[in-house]
Amino acid sequence: MMSEDGKPALPPAAFSPEDMARRRRRNIALALVLGGLVVFFFLVTLVKTGPAILNRPL
Amino acid sequence: MSAAFETRSETLPLTSMGEARDFFALLKPRVMFLVVVTALGGMATAPGAVHPVIGLAALIAIAVGAGASGCLNMWYDADIDALMARTAKRPIPSGRIQPSEALAFGLTLSIGSVIVLGLVANLLAAAMLAFTIFFYAVVYSMWLKRWTPQNIVIGGAAGAFPPMIGEAVVTGDFGIRSLVLFAIIFLWTPPHFWALALVKAGDYARAGIPMLPNVAGPAATRRQILAYSLVMAPVAVLPALMGFGGLAYLVVSVVTGLAMIGLAVRVLRTTEGDAAYKAAYALFGFSILYLFLLFAVLLAENSLGLMWALPKVLG
Repeated sequence: MMSEDGKPALPPAAFSPEDMARRRRRNIALALVLGGLVVFFFLVTLVKTGPAILNRPL
Repeated sequence: MSAAFETRSETLPLTSMGEARDFFALLKPRVMFLVVVTALGGMATAPGAVHPVIGLAALIAIAVGAGASGCLNMWYDADIDALMARTAKRPIPSGRIQPSEALAFGLTLSIGSVIVLGLVANLLAAAMLAFTIFFYAVVYSMWLKRWTPQNIVIGGAAGAFPPMIGEAVVTGDFGIRSLVLFAIIFLWTPPHFWALALVKAGDYARAGIPMLPNVAGPAATRRQILAYSLVMAPVAVLPALMGFGGLAYLVVSVVTGLAMIGLAVRVLRTTEGDAAYKAAYALFGFSILYLFLLFAVLLAENSLGLMWALPKVLG
């Protein structure tokens, strides 16, 4: 099947609303994991570096 | 891969529709839980202390590493998982996650967990975690599992390493204490898995996996289960005799160890019909509780100040 400009037409979108909702839930879970990693590395850095990390010249 | 699995793969969508819970299932969460408990046991009984945040971070890295090895195992075993009723609903054989996604997920988490453990704890702990992942995913899954009925005996070492990694996190080394904990899990693995293999012998036969009941027969398996239980139960009392398990551990390890032996004797004697199935399943179920209880009591005694110390007899 060809489109109006003569190029092959793309297949119709394969994702149903249910598929999109599933993808959305997966993306939210991924965002939460990434946020958790940020907190994880922040806390570990604080502990490994010690309180001295806050003593910086102004 | 089997023809059955390839046929199934052809019907998979090009883009994965796997949800977060499917990816979580790839990590074998129940195994991960036991790994966390046993690694905590190793950390708690280690001679020394670690900052709680560092300990928690290391524990997360160990758990993710264990989960990553489970994920790689599911990736490699997807063909035989599809043939067994117990595993056919796992994310890959059921088509919710594509094999390439599972491989990428498993490798990423493996490398990430080892690097993080090396950064938050030390290189020895990280090297041991890397070896554990390699041992489970390559030595056990790719080599031993489909080759020898001793697969879970040798492969059991992978599940026994977490207490040693836990001790390495705290001390940067490992000693006799975590070696004893290693021995307990190593000796626990055969009765645990062979009890399941007795129940699921048909599944394993269909998948062509040489589990002991399929190769040596149910009678030999029942004898081996009892033999391993008879060695395991006394070894599990050692922490109390060596001074890193207290009175509560002594009582729990003796009582539950006798229960394990009693259930193994029942498996040996009950060989026919539904009763045999129930006896094997009872041993399988209790073995999980047994290992959990041993490590939970060790943990409570050593880290919550609940230790009623006993005179040191050994070590």
